Amino acid sequence: MAASKEEEELKGSGKRLKCSMTGRYRVVPEDVTPFEEVEGAVEDDGDDDGGDGDDDEQLEDSELPLKPGLFFYPLTPTSFVVSDALEPDFPIIYVNTVFESFTGYRADEVLGRNCRFLQYRDPRAQRRHPLVDPVVVSEIRRCLEQGLEFQGELLNFRKDGTPLVNRLKLAPIHDDDGTVTHVIGIQIFSEAKIDLNCISYPVFKETYNNECEQMRVYTPKDGPLPFVQDQEMCGILQLSDEVLAHNILSRLTPRDVASIGSVCRRIRHLTKNEHLRKMVCQNAWGRDVTGALERMTEKLGWGRLARELTTLEAVCWRKLTVGGAVEPSRCNFSACAAGNRLVLFGGEGVNMQPMDDTFVLNLDAENPEWRRVSVESSPPGRWGHTLSCINGSWLVVFGGCGRQGLLNDVFVLDLDAKQPTWREILGGTPPLPRSWHSSCTIEGSKLVVSGGCTDAGVLLSDTYLLDLTTDKPTWKEIPTSWAPPSRLGHSLSVYGRTKLLMFGGLAKSGHLRLRSGEAYTIDLDDEEPQWRQLECSALTGIGSQSAVVPPPRLDHVAVSMPCGRILIFGGSIAGLHSPSQVFLLDPSEEKPSWRILNAPGQPPKYAWGHSTCVVGGTRVLVLGGHTGEEWILNELHELCLASRQDMDAASDE
Amino acid sequence: MSSSSSSSLPPCPKKMITLKSSDGETFQIEETAALQSKTLENMIDENCASTPIPLRSINGKILAKVVEFCNKHAEVGVDAESLHAWDAEFVNVEYTTLFDYILAANFLEIPTLLDLASGVVGDMIKGKTPDEIRKMFNINDAFSPEEEEEVRRANQWAFE
Repeated sequence: MAASKEEEELKGSGKRLKCSMTGRYRVVPEDVTPFEEVEGAVEDDGDDDGGDGDDDEQLEDSELPLKPGLFFYPLTPTSFVVSDALEPDFPIIYVNTVFESFTGYRADEVLGRNCRFLQYRDPRAQRRHPLVDPVVVSEIRRCLEQGLEFQGELLNFRKDGTPLVNRLKLAPIHDDDGTVTHVIGIQIFSEAKIDLNCISYPVFKETYNNECEQMRVYTPKDGPLPFVQDQEMCGILQLSDEVLAHNILSRLTPRDVASIGSVCRRIRHLTKNEHLRKMVCQNAWGRDVTGALERMTEKLGWGRLARELTTLEAVCWRKLTVGGAVEPSRCNFSACAAGNRLVLFGGEGVNMQPMDDTFVLNLDAENPEWRRVSVESSPPGRWGHTLSCINGSWLVVFGGCGRQGLLNDVFVLDLDAKQPTWREILGGTPPLPRSWHSSCTIEGSKLVVSGGCTDAGVLLSDTYLLDLTTDKPTWKEIPTSWAPPSRLGHSLSVYGRTKLLMFGGLAKSGHLRLRSGEAYTIDLDDEEPQWRQLECSALTGIGSQSAVVPPPRLDHVAVSMPCGRILIFGGSIAGLHSPSQVFLLDPSEEKPSWRILNAPGQPPKYAWGHSTCVVGGTRVLVLGGHTGEEWILNELHELCLASRQDMDAASDE
Repeated sequence: MSSSSSSSLPPCPKKMITLKSSDGETFQIEETAALQSKTLENMIDENCASTPIPLRSINGKILAKVVEFCNKHAEVGVDAESLHAWDAEFVNVEYTTLFDYILAANFLEIPTLLDLASGVVGDMIKGKTPDEIRKMFNINDAFSPEEEEEVRRANQWAFE
């Protein structure tokens, strides 16, 4: 897939990648589209079985070892198929003559059918040939379901049963509303040099040959290998299940567990245990995080959830309509999730009136609706403040702009209390009054506040901590010898329990204030915590994926993922960059680099950090994504990080 | 380990207990060092440690190392950093020996040694493919082709 990404990016710059069969890219002018080439090929070669001299050469090349980097837009005659995506099971509505000549099927034999008959060795067969890789097939299905582009190769068969390698690209075609109406399949067929009678396992995985040999050597019938006999060797399999599970497997990452689970029957069996999988997630992500995810696993299971959150294969945008109302209408409020509830406090009402009311949206409800929380007393009304969640159900308000100017007070509300009450926390010497600062919670109960803007319009660069677990919480400034330039509208994200990533904001730069695209980290667990600028490698070096850097922004969304990675999107960005583009960073990598995360579905037009929150660890809810002004809070956008348990969990396991 | 610093007690000859390996070797270990093993602690508590304790699942070579480990970790006044370095050297061994350590530590219930050796095994597995793990640990419990297909499908994501 790497190739297609680069392709995408080059498209943006008016150029498009072209590949030669020698495996090198060359850039071609945008005005040559693949379909023009395809049409040309049809005219030239459509009536024979695919080759004048040139084509023969290219076909031979294409039989070279099949590497993951796939090359499309070739000069060889290309078979292509159009399917109707609006009809069930994607029936074929068009095939070109190259398709007919390569596959031996005539158009009238295949129109109206799903293209999967190419996986059947016999035209009358009822199921796909066992050699067709089921992984690829399920990936195709997933891409079709989600409207994603697919590239890959799989085994197909001519009508006469001859095996063919099909390098396939599926491209969804959207109408103006974004609905996928057609899928175009571009196929490059080549001869598959395999003997169908002697192998019994899906082909075209690089590891296949090794494994085939190993299987031949190590079949159980042959008994143990000679060199194992007569040796008093202690191996991993001599360990008891308990020791293996508790002491070895549980300390691995979910990915490594999947790897060792593929090693042998016994370990496979152990790694399928749900309890072990939960331990793995707890060890890898921490208890707080797994606690928040607990509900997600009811139907998905820890194994599946760990996979999805590692591969991000299920990430997508969804729309969500909720009932109730947040009235009077407002903007510049703060929203935060407490468990599966979304809480909204304050905001700027009409005529810049500071609001002091609290609303809750319970997403566990069958028909979630906004409800005003009746509280005995409220903190002074405000906007541009922050709302954070601690200890699972407590909400903390800090700072913001009130009727009498900027604030630096702290109020806490226990949402689960019988009679929820806002209670002021007097925390010794508080930080300067401010608005548009950033805050986050570490270790479940410590509030961190950084930056913002003072009454005099001065930007701040300080970092403060308030430990709310203590009897008398006291504000503590975190002294650092160096701090990132002062700023507002930035994001603070927690990773690795006590580490923070600061990103973006409107930052002081000489006499100017500019949107920042920089990232900084600090570990509050260090004896003397220090801010450091995170050098995100500008170029990944080898190969296809050219570097990406999120455009500088402020008031954006930053989401901490369970595995310590961080997503950035939305905010105010200069120029024509799309705020809905999602960027992914793993700050704990040795050389962190940004990646683009492609999320299918309908993204919001706008997304602001103070009105977006993560519910249940996997649902990123964006309020007011339509207008950017947040007046309408009944139409939500949701970035789902994992399959929704109530929706598509059962689809392919 | 804090029990070893009970200096207020009257000086008495160090209490030693004797361990006997599967191949008949005997090892002397101070009781204070032996207390790191819950198994031995129980035997001491139940006064079963006055005669040599037979450990049929641990050979002399490994038992010698385990005794060495317990002695080191019972030493007073070793700073954390140098102990860490010593530990790292201690587990810098063939993987087969590592598993022997794990078996012994599990049997004797020595959590520090169990964690240390398991951690090294965990690090060895990190980032490896199933084939590499099979080769590394010499595992030959092959799947049937059907199982292999199922396993591959379920775990494919880890190798992409």
